Amino acid sequence: MKKIMLLSLLWTICTSIFAVSQTGLTFREAIESYNNKDYQTSLTKFSMIENEGIINADLYYNIGNCYFRINEVGRAILYFKKALKVRSDHKAARRNLEYAFTFTKDKQESENENVIRSFWLKAFDSISINLIAIITLLIFIIIIMLICLMIIHYRNREKTVPIFLTTIFIFLFTAFLIISILKWQEFHKTDEAVLLSTSAIGYSGPSEDFTRVFTIHEGMVLTIERIEGNWSLIKLENGLGGWIISDTYVKIEL
Amino acid sequence: MKKIFFISLIIVSQLLLAQTIEVDSYVDKNKIGISDLLKFTLEISGEDVGNISTPGLPEIKNFENLGSSTSSSSSYSFVNGKMNSKVTKSYKYTLRPLNTGNYLIPPITIKLKQQTFTTDPVHITVIKGSTHPAPPTSPNFSRQSNASVDLSDNLFMITDISKTSAYEGEPLIVEYKLYSRYDIANLAFAGDTNFEGFWKEDIFIPKSISFKRETYKGVMYNKMLMRSVALFPTKSGNIKIPSLELNVDVRTQSQSFFDFGTTKKYNIKSEPKTVIIHSIPQNDRPATFSNAVGNFNISSKISQTQMKVGDSFTYTITINGMGNLKQFDLPIVKEVNNLRFLDPEISTSINNNKISGKKTIKYLIIAQEKGNYTLSSESFSYFDTSSGKYKILKTKPYNLKVGEGDLTYVASSGAQSIVNKEGSDIGFIITDSLLVSKKVYFNTFRYWFIWLIVLLFIPVSVLYSKEKSKLAGNIDYTRQKKANRILKKYMKEASKFASNDDQRFYAAAQLGLSSYLADKLKEPRGSSSDDILTELALKKFPVELIEKIKKLFETCDQARFMPGGFSQEKIELDFQHVKETINDIMKCKF
Repeated sequence: MKKIMLLSLLWTICTSIFAVSQTGLTFREAIESYNNKDYQTSLTKFSMIENEGIINADLYYNIGNCYFRINEVGRAILYFKKALKVRSDHKAARRNLEYAFTFTKDKQESENENVIRSFWLKAFDSISINLIAIITLLIFIIIIMLICLMIIHYRNREKTVPIFLTTIFIFLFTAFLIISILKWQEFHKTDEAVLLSTSAIGYSGPSEDFTRVFTIHEGMVLTIERIEGNWSLIKLENGLGGWIISDTYVKIEL
Repeated sequence: MKKIFFISLIIVSQLLLAQTIEVDSYVDKNKIGISDLLKFTLEISGEDVGNISTPGLPEIKNFENLGSSTSSSSSYSFVNGKMNSKVTKSYKYTLRPLNTGNYLIPPITIKLKQQTFTTDPVHITVIKGSTHPAPPTSPNFSRQSNASVDLSDNLFMITDISKTSAYEGEPLIVEYKLYSRYDIANLAFAGDTNFEGFWKEDIFIPKSISFKRETYKGVMYNKMLMRSVALFPTKSGNIKIPSLELNVDVRTQSQSFFDFGTTKKYNIKSEPKTVIIHSIPQNDRPATFSNAVGNFNISSKISQTQMKVGDSFTYTITINGMGNLKQFDLPIVKEVNNLRFLDPEISTSINNNKISGKKTIKYLIIAQEKGNYTLSSESFSYFDTSSGKYKILKTKPYNLKVGEGDLTYVASSGAQSIVNKEGSDIGFIITDSLLVSKKVYFNTFRYWFIWLIVLLFIPVSVLYSKEKSKLAGNIDYTRQKKANRILKKYMKEASKFASNDDQRFYAAAQLGLSSYLADKLKEPRGSSSDDILTELALKKFPVELIEKIKKLFETCDQARFMPGGFSQEKIELDFQHVKETINDIMKCKF
């Protein structure tokens, strides 16, 4: 009985190690193809790794680069967005996304963004969700420590200093808790999508009989608000809304 | 051979100059009544007119030639120390109209010294009745009652525009000309002329009154150019060219000896005109277009192409031509690494006509590093008004060879260049990724488990704190709690003495046991063995155990205080006894 268990354990370890080395090999091959400017092969290999279920920002970033090189700007934007969804502090992905946006027909950024908002967004994006998780936990530990200290050590003493410190940390904790919730929501939201077809016409209702509202082009980032049959009500960054055919876009999902 | 050719060229040109002969014809009035007479004058002027017989007029339809008179005048002028003489011969014919209507005095051809001259045709309108008597056409024109003459025929202004339609930015030349047959005493501009929709450059504004004779529509007038401007349209559409207003003082003729003549004031205006301005097409506009409109040439020049490190050279780009030279920028040369471009000298020189000239940009460049460099071709684009299309001109590229120089280091004197971006692309792929699948801590059990553990610290610390306060508040409780520890300390000591067969074993054992029991029984430290034993009996300890303890205490007393009570053989056994007894005590409850 023991022997069988040991063997099965050994087998599991071996296969997992083999799997890792296999992925590593494919990854190296993909990079080599990219270096040789064979972007299509490189893309196929990176996609193979992606299909194994690995969720990794660097991988998405590399796939985005491949798509950009074979002139599929829409898909490149989709993958850069995916990379940023996994790691919002992925600087290379952000830079490439901004660069890829300059190749789209439609201007993407909302123009009159104020300073405070852009600063907040920058700060928000520069911290990854896991870092936030760790910071929140650390602040929580500090608060608990302070409370314990007050219970044990300061039981019969002046408590001004520890209470003051605890208050500060509780404020910090609240702030980080809110950021954590926002981050978590952002990570799990599935209403963002990228337009992949060359162009799509937005109508005022879920049919071509309605009035044309706008035309958008490949690479446009949009927010899905409702889906009805084959049609989706979308909202653009600049506030425009309309119904487009659902096949034209792909959601930014992990 | 060459010499002969030159000499003959000079002679021929001299001859040509000498033989400038002008033939002109004019009438005193374009509009006459059927009962009036028309004076038609044929004027031949030149340096050497010589004897010419009165040219016979061909038969003019609807007019009867009543006869002719001849007059001659000469004038001399000194130009650059050279005297020029000019003889003018006038042949005046008196013509009588036969019918009313519009007629034409045909061009008259005169042969003079193997040359043929043809005059311009003159239009005449003959109406019924009589018009006012025509003013004389002598060089002075005056001596005639001015009041009786139709003003607009004899004093008027004309706006001459070089083009009736143009593109935005394409220059137009507007000339205001005053024609007069009166004796003018004084002239003044009445008010400012505002050229709206144009950028204006003045070409000519007269400083003094100076008239020239000129025929206009077949009639001889005194002409004066009042103003000449170059206009550059700044917007498209039908744009009005404003009229020029003049205050003119005209001298009237004295009627009698005592009449010295007076001046009469007139206000005259030129007719406003409209020009059509087309906007420059938006389509096919080159990226380098910088609003240049007109007709240009580009040329570039370099002072040397081979040099040493540290040498400087000049690179000049010139744009030459006609158009809105003041309203566009020259192409800025792309800087080349290792060549230091000093701030360029940009100059614009405009000719007197205000619409042509040249623009120059001149760079002083210092070679800083050995090597071969290329000054790339610069392109300049403009809108060509003659073809109505954009044109791109390019300078030729220059290849430079910079050799090793004496100066290997060129100090940068403040004019250092900033590193320029030469291109943009997406970033390179990441090659050293660990390919670890992303885990969101918020979604893992472990993360929240840590929270739980941390949270558990609070009840733990509360319990701890309670225990601590209990200890602080009750000495007996503390003693009871600490009793074991004290016993252990003494026993450790005792076992050490026992293994060395030391007599001090008994002291340690007795002290340990008695203080342990005292603590446990909440008796004061140092109570006698009897007190302890009584207390134990009170606590209902088993009798055998009390006996055992009593015996142990006695043994210890004996060993400690009685001479010969201590033997090395017994010590091992007594240690066993102590251990057993303590074990028994531990089993009991206090």
